[in-house]
Amino acid sequence: MSLDSQIVIVSGLPRSGTSLMMQMLHQGGLTTMTDEIRMADTDNPRGYFEFEQAKKTKQDPSWLAEARGKVVKMVSALLYDLPATESYRVIFMRRDLDEVLESQEKMLARLSRPAAPRHQMKQSFAIHLDRLSQWLLTQSHMNVLEVNFNQLISNPEPEVHRIAEFLDHRPSVEMMINAIDPSLYRNRKPAVSDQ
Amino acid sequence: MTKVGIDSNLFERARQAATKAGFSSVEELITTAIEKELKRLGEADAEKQVADQLRGLGYIE
Repeated sequence: MSLDSQIVIVSGLPRSGTSLMMQMLHQGGLTTMTDEIRMADTDNPRGYFEFEQAKKTKQDPSWLAEARGKVVKMVSALLYDLPATESYRVIFMRRDLDEVLESQEKMLARLSRPAAPRHQMKQSFAIHLDRLSQWLLTQSHMNVLEVNFNQLISNPEPEVHRIAEFLDHRPSVEMMINAIDPSLYRNRKPAVSDQ
Repeated sequence: MTKVGIDSNLFERARQAATKAGFSSVEELITTAIEKELKRLGEADAEKQVADQLRGLGYIE
């Protein structure tokens, strides 16, 4: 099926690199669907690339027709709401869970909202991701490519080539690599040699 | 080993079902059923906690 008739979804847990992936695909030449309602801030200096209506897909999926051939960001839990009447290519971001949680906790603190204990949240996210992965395997209208954020930052080229291939070589590899700014890789887990 | 009371009719149904389904004993069937339910309840709790966190971060409504 042609990429023009499918919807490209960038998904994953919050703080797993979904905004970076949106930036890469945008810079690589794909059209991203964003509404700029959530503006860039300390947590995402280059913007969130969010589309507010994606949060309400279960109640109103009418925006999906307009999204064909474009890229939309949706957090992991919202994938369950995507109707099987459309076809999707899902780029699913994976990142070390401790780094994800470290980053989420800082974001929650800035928003003055409570965070659940780290060990509980880590276990819950692991269960959530496991169940979602099993579910995605059974969805014939969804093609999924998992991208590891940590590998993408440390050695971008092979990952970017995989992404380009998954998207029928539409996005520019060179431009996608240029979009990666390792200085934005914060909340990094210390390497053994750093400890 | 802890003993648990169970209705005798339900126990008999479980015993027959265990034999039919190839369980080695009715205890094995009951243990499997309890483990399955505990897993389901744990998953429901985990998904609720994930939803609360995503809501707090502003990613879902």
